[in-house]
Amino acid sequence: MLLPPLVRKTSRDDRRAVIGWTAGVAAFTTIYTGFYSQFQGAAELKQNALPQGMLDFLGIADMLSPAGYLQATVFSLIGPLLVLMCAVTLSARTIARPEEDGGMELLLANPLSRKAFATQRLTAAAVAVTVVAAMPWILLSILVPAIAMDVPLSNVAAACVGLIALAWCFTGIAFLVGAVSGKRGNVLAITGVLAVATYMANALSNMSEGLGWLKWLSPFYYFIGTDPLHTGWHPGHLLLLAGIGVATAIAGIILFDRRDVGV
Amino acid sequence: MLYGMTSDIAVLAEDLTKFYGAQRGIENLNLDVKVGEVMGFLGPNGAGKTTTIRLLLDFLRPTRGHARILGLDPRRDKAVLHRQIGYLPGELAFPGRETAKDLLRFFGDARGGVAWSTVTSLAERLDLDLSRRVRAMSKGNKQKVGLVQAFMHQPALLILDEPTSGLDPLMQQEFLAMVRDARDNGQTVFMSSHVLAEVQSTADRVAIVRNGQLAAVEKVESLGRRAVRSVEIHFGDPVSRAEFTGLPGVSNVEVAGPVLRCTVDGRLDPLIKAAALHEVIDLLSAEPDLEETFLSYYYHSEGATDATAAAGA
Repeated sequence: MLLPPLVRKTSRDDRRAVIGWTAGVAAFTTIYTGFYSQFQGAAELKQNALPQGMLDFLGIADMLSPAGYLQATVFSLIGPLLVLMCAVTLSARTIARPEEDGGMELLLANPLSRKAFATQRLTAAAVAVTVVAAMPWILLSILVPAIAMDVPLSNVAAACVGLIALAWCFTGIAFLVGAVSGKRGNVLAITGVLAVATYMANALSNMSEGLGWLKWLSPFYYFIGTDPLHTGWHPGHLLLLAGIGVATAIAGIILFDRRDVGV
Repeated sequence: MLYGMTSDIAVLAEDLTKFYGAQRGIENLNLDVKVGEVMGFLGPNGAGKTTTIRLLLDFLRPTRGHARILGLDPRRDKAVLHRQIGYLPGELAFPGRETAKDLLRFFGDARGGVAWSTVTSLAERLDLDLSRRVRAMSKGNKQKVGLVQAFMHQPALLILDEPTSGLDPLMQQEFLAMVRDARDNGQTVFMSSHVLAEVQSTADRVAIVRNGQLAAVEKVESLGRRAVRSVEIHFGDPVSRAEFTGLPGVSNVEVAGPVLRCTVDGRLDPLIKAAALHEVIDLLSAEPDLEETFLSYYYHSEGATDATAAAGA
């Protein structure tokens, strides 16, 4: 007996989605990173073309250095966006979706306590999210040396682990919303708005000194605000992100145990 | 199989009440189902049957009162308890896109392992193809998958919400045979329905709910005696109403030309004898639905309720 049957079942049901997201994130990472050698001339043009305010907003310090290029392409917007969309949709599948489409009754009739049920559903989803969020790490570990980008692999690892921690943070939040409300729309809307709002908070804090304090409210600051590709590991920040994920997940499990299901 | 049992009561509800905000789901339900008994749980749609079942399974938490299942607490002992319960939801939806075989394997593993031969023999009995994807199945076939998963681990207690919905008449008979086998096995069956005839042939007792309240609990034999049916007779020639009023057990007589409509309580013989004086073209007899007759018996006349109590005693 390897894994509990419900964990295996949940993973099986998520398999197609996970393959899709993994392929998408992998393709995105590979294509953008792979363009680096052709891009070097164009980067200068692009950096000059974009106003400084826009660069600050996107969190792009410079596009010319290898670290700056990776930051601007993989880590600034689309990378986290893809990973978070995956995290939110997979989290919505743990409880909210089956509760809405009726599949919940037969799942919940499994001989498991409510807490064990929620934990097993979340475990399967969190593993899937982690696999998707780890794709950039796996690929960059290969690509960065292969195309001779001058970024220490330890710094790449720090940024990539940050992406995983960011994904955990929002997986926990999305799970909590679904566990409490049982509504898929709530999961997508509340987590989506929170992600956009905190992204904006971090972006605005880059643009204006007066708004600098906003960054402390944003998971995106703890993920990328310290520029890990240049500065390396910031374990406190990563632990904080993971901690938010774990705390919201535990809250979700406790609250799911206390409510009516499927009404 | 019946570990965790402290008495011969399989399902006990005491003052069980569930409100959704101000709306009543079920109120003050007091009910016991004995071990080895088949109990029909009857009532029109929206009466509170599914709410009650979900309370028993701990999907819902009662506003008041409590339930004990196989001597255990539905919430605290859910993990142990659900291994001994076979549950068929009223609105059946299956998680995932697997074949019936893979889905049933999962249910079997989750319940601590089920002999695969049990699954295949149930599938054969219901004429179900296990190699097909459940999502793509017809309503009737999905219902069969639901029945197989409810029966496959030979649970001490079967809780079945509208089990025959979507099944064709032949399969309904097969299902009723499965219920009788389960009872012979010592299993307890609690099944809801909105059709009296369906539970009449298998249940030992029926509990009847309406508008969120328990209306009556009766032995099925005492129901049978009061089997009211509506009868429609088409004659060759117009008949007069007077010939049929006043016959024992016959009421609500309506005559429109050659067509007679009435309801018959008990034996059909007096009506048939009277009708035989004319040329009979066609005779239709239908079980009336529950709402129409049986429940009106309880709700629209106090005297009838007393008579029932006397008859039941």
